Amino acid sequence: MSEATQTAPEQRRPHETGGEPLISVRGLGVRYGDRKVLEDVDLDIYKGETMVILGPSGCGKSTLLRHLEGLAKPSVGTVHVSGTDIGTASNDELLRVRRLMGVSFQSAAMFNSMTVGDNVALPLREHTDLAESTILLMTKMKLQQVGLSGVEDLYPTQLSGGMRKRASLARALALDPEILFFDEPSAGLDPIIAAGIDELILRLKEAFRMTIIVVTHEMESAFRIADRMCMLDQGTVLAVGTSEEILTHTHPRIRQFVQRIPDRHDESAHSYITGF
Amino acid sequence: MSLVASVGRATIRQVEYVGLLAIQFWHGLRLSLRVNPFAGRRLRWKRALEQMAEIGVRSLPVLCVVSGATGMIMALQSGAELRKFGAMDAIINLVGTSMTRELGPLIAAIVVIGRSGSAISAEVATMVVTEEVDALRAMALDPLDFVLVPKYLAMLVTMPCVTVMGVFSGILAGGVFAHFTLDITLLMYLQRTVEILLMRDILSGLVKALVFGSIIVHVGCLEGFLVTGGPEGVGRSTTSAVVKSIFLVILADLLCTAFFYFFWR
Ligand SMILES: Nc1ncnc2c1ncn2[C@@H]1O[C@H](COP(=O)(O)OP(=O)(O)OP(=O)(O)O)[C@@H](O)[C@H]1O
Ligand SMILES: [Mg+2]
Repeated sequence: MSEATQTAPEQRRPHETGGEPLISVRGLGVRYGDRKVLEDVDLDIYKGETMVILGPSGCGKSTLLRHLEGLAKPSVGTVHVSGTDIGTASNDELLRVRRLMGVSFQSAAMFNSMTVGDNVALPLREHTDLAESTILLMTKMKLQQVGLSGVEDLYPTQLSGGMRKRASLARALALDPEILFFDEPSAGLDPIIAAGIDELILRLKEAFRMTIIVVTHEMESAFRIADRMCMLDQGTVLAVGTSEEILTHTHPRIRQFVQRIPDRHDESAHSYITGF
Repeated sequence: MSLVASVGRATIRQVEYVGLLAIQFWHGLRLSLRVNPFAGRRLRWKRALEQMAEIGVRSLPVLCVVSGATGMIMALQSGAELRKFGAMDAIINLVGTSMTRELGPLIAAIVVIGRSGSAISAEVATMVVTEEVDALRAMALDPLDFVLVPKYLAMLVTMPCVTVMGVFSGILAGGVFAHFTLDITLLMYLQRTVEILLMRDILSGLVKALVFGSIIVHVGCLEGFLVTGGPEGVGRSTTSAVVKSIFLVILADLLCTAFFYFFWR
């Protein structure tokens, strides 16, 4: 614990020289009952950068994402997204912030009562006045973008896990969001498709200057897409920095993560790591 | 001391629950009134129509059998007593008014709770557990607007309809009994029933149907939204939706009946 605070993040300049961060987290703490899940998290994410959040399973990555997405209000600390304080925002302000975001959940969270096509078309039908034919065309395009075609009329339960994941990315991209959240994009995908998703993320960044926040375990893909990385462990931020900085970081926990070294057994009381 | 504390805690929980229900009801009503069938938002009405089939049409067979049986039971039971006084004619009044005012709406509510109340809470709870509700919120869609409103609209339309059907089958069953014991034709029986029934009877039955329908949808959805734990929580919220709906429906029935008794004679 004390180690963690010692090497605490020295906030780096953003990749591009931007002023105000788009998303800014200060002193965020989250607990379930008397169990601390996040503690004193500080993080700035600038417009147009791809931030990869790394960390062992159960360290609070998805929880952090929920707070960045404004789905949970912080009980301790503050979260600002595009100038709006999530903790005190009114309903209308929250809606405005959410209109900027596309979210792909770890569990895909497709609506099981609707076809895949209707799932992807839902944001378009609800938030735009586009003609039905345009909506169908866009739906098809978005699905093609993630390498899915001809699945519009299937139900989510008829897809494989990896296909569901990609369909949920298509849904998140439906309204061309400014900020994209992506929880574990490559979980359950074969290497070829995972590489394709990496390409897509890079393209979205190039073409739309989209701000992309990705949670992943895949170090290779992380280093490929990231402008900066944030390393979490047991609910605290160990380091925030560019790929090189993380790669050469001296913190033992980060070295362990980057070099895929398993926990030794005499330390296992502390360990959360089960996923690798 | 611990007894006092636990009673206090339980009371606070119940008050909190009623409060949540009231808030949800208010928002649900506001959002439902905003849905305009003639402009945009086709999706809401499409979903509402599906729900109408689910809530209304599919529960009709069971409802008609149960209401019919109840009408028959009432005719038999009261017939046994009324025969002693030679007042068998009164069966027509008894079955007609009590089905219309009281038993029709109540039986409809209980059948719909069993079929749809439980299904609603299971559906909503599953949506919460699989993060579908979070996905809705992340898309800047209001889960109440999207999940509750179609169900609520459907319930407000179908509940009076199925209640009327239930009442009719109950009265009809009474008529079959009367046909064999009273020496009157079914047609005469129905004519007499129509003469006896007041507008007040019919309206109070329909008001009850609307009140019960609201309770069923709102309790079902709230239990679903409040689900805790993973998939095993879904079963718990379903059970609790059924128990709470029945309890609240009967309580509301008492309040409605008392209201009509005192304020609308
Ligand atoms: N609703 C909840 N109630 C209680 N504890 C929770 C809840 N949600 C998450 N947690 C706990 O918070 C911790 C962090 O969960 P989170 O889902 O953020 O982990 P994660 O880093 O995303 O893990 P993974 O890589 O496996 O997805 C976990 O230890 C989990 O047990
Ligand atoms: Mg996670």
